[in-house]
Amino acid sequence: MSRVKAYLSAFRMRWKMELQYRGAVIGGVLCQMFFGLILVALYRALYAGKPQARPIEDVVTYVWLQQAFFRMLLSSDGDLMDKIRTGSIAYDLCRPLSLYGYYYARIMAQKLLGSLLRAAPMLLFAALLPRGWGMALPSSFPALLVAALAVGLGLLCVCAIENITMAFTMRTLDSRGMQAMLNLLMMTLSGNILPLTLFPDAWQRVITLLPYAQLLDAPIRLYTGEWALWQAPRVLLTQGAWTIILLALGLMLWRKNQKRLVLQGG
Amino acid sequence: MSYITVTDLQKTFTVRKKREKGHLTREKTLVQALKGVSFSVERGELVGYIGPNGAGKSTTVKILSGILTPDGGQAEVGGRIPWQQRKEHVRHIGVVFGQRSQLWWDVPIADSYALLKDIYQVPPQQHQKRLNELTEALDLGSLLRTPLRLLSLGQRMRAELCGSLLHSPELLFLDEPTIGLDAVSKLALRDFLQFENRQHGTTILLTTHDMEDIAALCSRVMVLGHGSKLFDGSLADLLSRYDTQRIISLRYDGDCALPPLPAGCESIREGDGYRITYAPQTVPTAQMLSLLQSAGPIRELTAQPQNIDHLIADMYREMDL
Repeated sequence: MSRVKAYLSAFRMRWKMELQYRGAVIGGVLCQMFFGLILVALYRALYAGKPQARPIEDVVTYVWLQQAFFRMLLSSDGDLMDKIRTGSIAYDLCRPLSLYGYYYARIMAQKLLGSLLRAAPMLLFAALLPRGWGMALPSSFPALLVAALAVGLGLLCVCAIENITMAFTMRTLDSRGMQAMLNLLMMTLSGNILPLTLFPDAWQRVITLLPYAQLLDAPIRLYTGEWALWQAPRVLLTQGAWTIILLALGLMLWRKNQKRLVLQGG
Repeated sequence: MSYITVTDLQKTFTVRKKREKGHLTREKTLVQALKGVSFSVERGELVGYIGPNGAGKSTTVKILSGILTPDGGQAEVGGRIPWQQRKEHVRHIGVVFGQRSQLWWDVPIADSYALLKDIYQVPPQQHQKRLNELTEALDLGSLLRTPLRLLSLGQRMRAELCGSLLHSPELLFLDEPTIGLDAVSKLALRDFLQFENRQHGTTILLTTHDMEDIAALCSRVMVLGHGSKLFDGSLADLLSRYDTQRIISLRYDGDCALPPLPAGCESIREGDGYRITYAPQTVPTAQMLSLLQSAGPIRELTAQPQNIDHLIADMYREMDL
C-alpha cells in the first residue's frame, strides 16, 4: 500500500507542476476554440454541398470533444525527455521504485490535469453555441456514464503509448523525429484531424480496432449514441485489451533498456 | 567482512565515433572504463576517490549505486549486490551527482522533499525530525518554499545534498559535490559532511577534483587512472612521494638581480620580486638562503610547500595518466 503512495505522490507532484503553467492553459483554450470553430465551419460547408450519413450534429459534437481533450493526446513531458537526453535519469534510477510506474504516474497527471483544465471552459463554450454549431447533449445518461468510463480507459492507453515512446527515446536519445512521426499517426488515427466517423466504412472497420481509436474516438461514439449501449461491453473490452497489451509492451521495453543502459554526459 | 567489497570490477563501453567525412559507417571503439578494480571500505569511513577525467570514477559510483551492470567482477555493499537487488539496495544509499539535479525545477524544494519522503517511505515524524536537522545544518530554513530554479548554485547544491540525505542513508556517494561553488559554500559543505559522518556514522565515498576537499575530509584516498587503481592509502603518504619541492617568494630592497642558481632550480619574476622553486634534497634550504642573501638586502621572504594541485598534476604525469 505504501508503495502506491509513492506513485500517487509523483502524480500529485506533476499535477502541482502543471498548475504552475496557467498562461499555457489560457493560450491552449483559445487556440483549441479557434480550431474548433474553423473545423465546424468546414464540416458545415461540406454538409451544405453533400450531406453525409452521420448527422451534422454528431460530427460537430465529435469535433468539440476532440478539441477539448486535445491535451490528452498531444502532450509530452519535456522534463522527462531532457532527463533521458542529459543523463539526469540517473537519479530516478537510484530510487526504490519501478521507473515505469514512476513515469506512468507523471505522464498520467500531466495528461489528466492538462485536459481537464482545458476541457472545462471549452465544453462550456461549445455548449453555449447554437444548435448545429455547438455541442449536443449525450444521447442518454447511461451513455454519458459509459463514455466517461471509456475516456478513463483511453487515458490508460495513451499514457502507455507515451511510455513506449519514452522507452524508444532512451535508445535514440532524441525524441523529436520519433515523436513527429508518432504524433502524425496518432492525430490521424485517433480522429483529431478528420473524425473517424467520416472515413469510408470499410476503413473504419479496421481503424476503430487500432489502439489510437481507443483514446477518444470510442468514448465519443458512445457519447453521441452512434454506438448503442448494448455495444458498450465490446468497446470497453477492446479498450481494456489494448491497455493490457500496451502496458505489457512498455514494461518489457523499459526492463530491456535498464539492462543495456548507458548514461549520457559523464 | 567489510561494508563495501569490490573485486576485479570491469566495465567496457562502446563508443561510436563519426569519421571525419565520406564514410557511411561509424568507427566503433571499445573503451575499458574499469579494468579490474578491487578495494574494500569499512563502515563509517570517509574515502576520497580521485583521478583525472575519464579515469572510471563515476562508472564505479554508478555500478555501486545499482544503475549500471558491470561486465565482470564482484561488488557487494552491506551484503547486497547492487545491480541485482537494485530496489532493496537503493533504499539504503544516497547519491549526489554534482552536475545533475534530483529536485523539481519549477516547484518549491519542500514539495520535492515531500515526494522523496513518500518514495523512501519515511514515517512522517521521523521525516520532520530529519528535515529539521538537515535544514538547520545546511541553512535551508528560509528557502524551503522557494522553487529550485530561483536558487543560486551554492544554495542548490545544499538543497540537493539535503534531498539525498533525507532518508538517512547508511552510504553516501558524492560525485563532485563542490563543483562550481564559492569558498564559503565549499567550507560550509565540508563542515556539514564531516558532521554527518561523525554524527550518524554515514559511510561516504567522495569523488572530486578539488584536492582541498580531500585534504579537509578524507583520511584515506584511492587514486584511479585508466580504469585501474593506482594508489590506496592516506593522503599524507601519497603526497610525501611527490612533495619534493619548496617555493620561496622574495623581494629585495631596491632593484637586485638574482644570483645564478644551482642546476635544477627555477625562478620567475613576480611583480618586483622573484619566485624560486627548488628541491631541498639537492640544494639544502640554508644554502639557498645564504645564496639569495648574497645578492643584496632582502626585504620580504616567504617559503611554502608546493600547491597540492601541482603535486597531483605531477603524480598524474608520472603515472602517465
